[in-house]
Amino acid sequence: MTTKNPRIVIIGAGINSLVAALVLARKGLVPVVFERGAAVGGVAVTEEFHPGFRASMVAPMAGPIAPAVLAALEAAGQRVDWLESPARLFLPETGNPALALWTDPGACAAAIEKIFPADAGRYRDLRAALAATRGFFRDLLVTTPPAVDDLRSAELLRAARLGFRLRRLGKRTMVRVLRWLPMPVADLAEEWFAAEPLRAAVAARGIFAATMGPRSPGTSARLLLQVAPWGEPFAPPVVPRGGMGALAAAVAGAARVAGAQIRTGAEVEKIVVKDGRVAGVALAGGEEIRCPVVVSGADPARTLVGLIDPGQLPPSVAHQVRHYRTAGSVARVHLALDALPRFRGATAPSSTAGAAAELAGRIQIGCSIEALEGAFDAAKYGAVSAEPFLEATIPTVLDPSLAPAGKHVLSVWMQFAPYRLREGNWSARAGSLLPLILATLEAYAPGISGLVLGSRVLTPADLEQTYALTGGHIFHGELAMDQMFALRPVFGMARYRGPLAGLYLCGAGTHPGIGVTGASGWNAAREILEDLRAG
Amino acid sequence: MAESYDVIVIGAGHNGLVNAAYLARAGRKVLVLESRPVVGGAAVTEEIVPGFRFSVYSYVVSLLRPEIIRELRLAEHGLEILPLDGTFTPLDGNYLWRTDDHSRTRREIARFSPADAESYEEFGRAMVRICRFVRPLLDAAPPDPASLAPADLERLLWLARRFQALERDDKRLLLQLLTASAADFLDGWFETDVLKATMAASGIIGTFLGIRSPGTAYVLLHHYMGEIDGTFRAWGFSRDGTGGVTRAIAGAACEAGARIRTEARVVRILARGGRAAGVALESGEEIRAPVVSSSLDPRQTFLRLLEPGDLPPQFLDEVRRYKFRGSSGKLNLALDGLPEFTCLPATAGGPAAARPERCRGPAEPGAGRHLRGAISISPGVDYMERAYDDAKYGRFSRRPYIDVVIPTLTDPQLAPPGKHVMSCFVQYAPYALRDGDWDSRRDEFADTVIDTLAEYAPNIRSIIAGRQVITPLDIERAVGMSEGNIFQGELSPEQLFFLRPVAGWARYRTPVRGLYLCGSAAHPGGGIMGAPGRLAAREILKRGPL
Repeated sequence: MTTKNPRIVIIGAGINSLVAALVLARKGLVPVVFERGAAVGGVAVTEEFHPGFRASMVAPMAGPIAPAVLAALEAAGQRVDWLESPARLFLPETGNPALALWTDPGACAAAIEKIFPADAGRYRDLRAALAATRGFFRDLLVTTPPAVDDLRSAELLRAARLGFRLRRLGKRTMVRVLRWLPMPVADLAEEWFAAEPLRAAVAARGIFAATMGPRSPGTSARLLLQVAPWGEPFAPPVVPRGGMGALAAAVAGAARVAGAQIRTGAEVEKIVVKDGRVAGVALAGGEEIRCPVVVSGADPARTLVGLIDPGQLPPSVAHQVRHYRTAGSVARVHLALDALPRFRGATAPSSTAGAAAELAGRIQIGCSIEALEGAFDAAKYGAVSAEPFLEATIPTVLDPSLAPAGKHVLSVWMQFAPYRLREGNWSARAGSLLPLILATLEAYAPGISGLVLGSRVLTPADLEQTYALTGGHIFHGELAMDQMFALRPVFGMARYRGPLAGLYLCGAGTHPGIGVTGASGWNAAREILEDLRAG
Repeated sequence: MAESYDVIVIGAGHNGLVNAAYLARAGRKVLVLESRPVVGGAAVTEEIVPGFRFSVYSYVVSLLRPEIIRELRLAEHGLEILPLDGTFTPLDGNYLWRTDDHSRTRREIARFSPADAESYEEFGRAMVRICRFVRPLLDAAPPDPASLAPADLERLLWLARRFQALERDDKRLLLQLLTASAADFLDGWFETDVLKATMAASGIIGTFLGIRSPGTAYVLLHHYMGEIDGTFRAWGFSRDGTGGVTRAIAGAACEAGARIRTEARVVRILARGGRAAGVALESGEEIRAPVVSSSLDPRQTFLRLLEPGDLPPQFLDEVRRYKFRGSSGKLNLALDGLPEFTCLPATAGGPAAARPERCRGPAEPGAGRHLRGAISISPGVDYMERAYDDAKYGRFSRRPYIDVVIPTLTDPQLAPPGKHVMSCFVQYAPYALRDGDWDSRRDEFADTVIDTLAEYAPNIRSIIAGRQVITPLDIERAVGMSEGNIFQGELSPEQLFFLRPVAGWARYRTPVRGLYLCGSAAHPGGGIMGAPGRLAAREILKRGPL
């Protein structure tokens, strides 16, 4: 049986691992994927959290998935039923009127025009400016960063090619991109918009899941990685019918069709190293699988510290990995609701038949730069934000199958909930999150507390425990300028090759590392194939 | 008949003067116009309290390029740099003291962490290596990556090759310095909170960022770039205050034939058909020159001295976007005596047993030596970050970071015998206050600084003989630096190298032909460095004989 002596073992069955498995299997390599959980998907899972209520437990939506990945799914006969959301983002009424940012650019501009007339033109301009960068950023997601640790001619050429692609955008756009990337997202937002809710809407993507605030430099790069591939300032909520688990099932299905083997309930406990190169993996329970190539979809800290004996790594690598920042900043809460909540300023009244269209996308609580920055301040000192930034979704607006008829699911990202608390610990503090979130929501959706039938709270510690995310970091490590692109996860490891021969990284801890895109898996597979070809 | 010059330099700050000196040495007929009665810009020594002479704004010297000192023979013109030995960080009942004496510093740091004492030396060596890599970049106009000109591509390639020649670890450090926060960067080296806080302070000087903000590691590096007599990271005082530096440069410029006129405020740069033609003074006088070199910042130069019609609209947009955000203020104190820091009194020198139990450092070689260097109120990383938090919301820090120096301990002639001057650089003091304005809150600001100092040196209040409070608004009004930013614009990545001050215009030229920028808003930026003035002169001289 091939499981005995596969050529390639992949650790974890998250989306990136599954994409890597799919690509490698299509080349006839028969990779074997080991997943410690019972289900595939990693952070892309749909689970029942209250009888009759299901939710995308961690990631609520996908990022821009590379067209090539989607084509591969289709070729394998795996259909993903993407839901079309009429809305991108809704900001409930605060001191400002409620703002609905629609998917249709015309409707979106008109909605902005109505309440912030000065900004409607700026929205169109920003959209055009981002559209000009779209091709570059799409490519960037599926580009292996140049090896800055070793800029020999070949690598220099790769770096130059990247520069050339940027230059092809035209001088103005090129300079714009180079100027934008290191900026605090607040500055970028303030350059474009005068109205606070619009600024906050732009800034939120820049800080999501970071231990940074909108005034932290480099948050613009995070924004651009997430929105520029769409060519617009507000990313669409990309979610399949059935929740994120459906996407995982499709990719896993395609990988299996292509010949990959996927074993769930099989936890890799150790990566076996012999003579400075990987020799296989050891599973919990004692089974050992010999294999010359191990691809880890686990986060870099878990892979290099948890699965490998520290003595096996070069000391400088061990030092770098120790200082790789993995402390997460978000908590996840799912609410089973008896009815659709009414947000202040939402137009359509909730009814069982037609839910309010503006609630179909993201809902943002934190409607000014200062509110977002203020929420961040607490995290710097290891405290939970008293007035957190919330990003909510109500997946049942578009996908009623997730809850009993007429009922709804509301899933919340709460930021900032720092992994490392100065006072107390998460097992003691877990109980305080739900009341805090409900109190926060109540101010924007009065009466919501009364609709709650059930809930599930995932603290950063829970995210770490349940979903194998070191530090509870949903991006597998802080995505800041010094841990981004050619420096992700750490200097010298950005090309998906680990510090040992035969070891590869394919998770979100590698470029691009922004949500569920499958790009890391795609890029890693390409590099593995290149190495295999070179022998 | 109206006067005529080859080049008019606007502003007699150190960069304007360096620029003028180089141009005059190359045979150009140069006129420097300064609005104030004294030359020096922000590098001036003035008698504010009778008998007490202060380096009013800029107060220490390190970054001044050694080739400028050499080429302009500044020593012959009276420049003398006195060493500023070490940094003393008082704490509650303890202190951290780093001096130029390596073994002593090592012992001091080892009191907190033996591991840090080890790392400290290695850190110093690594920074020297990195600075050696970066320095040539400061001594040349930056290449433009958006340009496809062979010279630019060649320069980029040269950069890449030099980078490739670095040791692997140094490559890593350099990239970290360009991208990380000062606090995160130092976390990779040290574990002692106060050591990290004090070292990280260099990463926020003059910026509107906190030590945890990404990008501040670069500012840290910028401040390490200093070199005095071949020693990296050496800081010093100029004899007779910082004005001594600019006086020496002015001397060199005049000797080379430049003319300097003070109390000559330029109110307009004359531009005809997209070319510079001269300047108009407040008095109405017009002076002609085919080249105008402005050491003022971009807001002053492009928005105040030119008509909007003189510049392309897109360029103007970029100039308006350029960030100043002054974040620092100063308190200059005339003192009747020396501050007594509770954790290590100025008279300390007696047996260690006489001192509080928790601060038994090594025995003192001389009384009060710890006061001769910088005294840094930076007791911890959180303290520094909280100081920034206040500024983010438009307040001056309730407990600020303070960088104190007492130059009279090294240069006694600045004050009457037995008296002292004390310079307190304070951050954060945001230009834009949310409540009230700087004129009405100036004393409150000064009191906050004194209260903070008094926590460490309680006698401070009783020895103050006079004080001068400098708010960012004062800096803007007096020296003309927009929003009081001491670097003529933030040293943030989007305003550095080929983006400083505006992309496509990082090489001292401007859209008005014959108009150049030669101040800190041009590459490589601020501090008493002189590099922009020198490099701008080189660009101007490329035009050939006039």
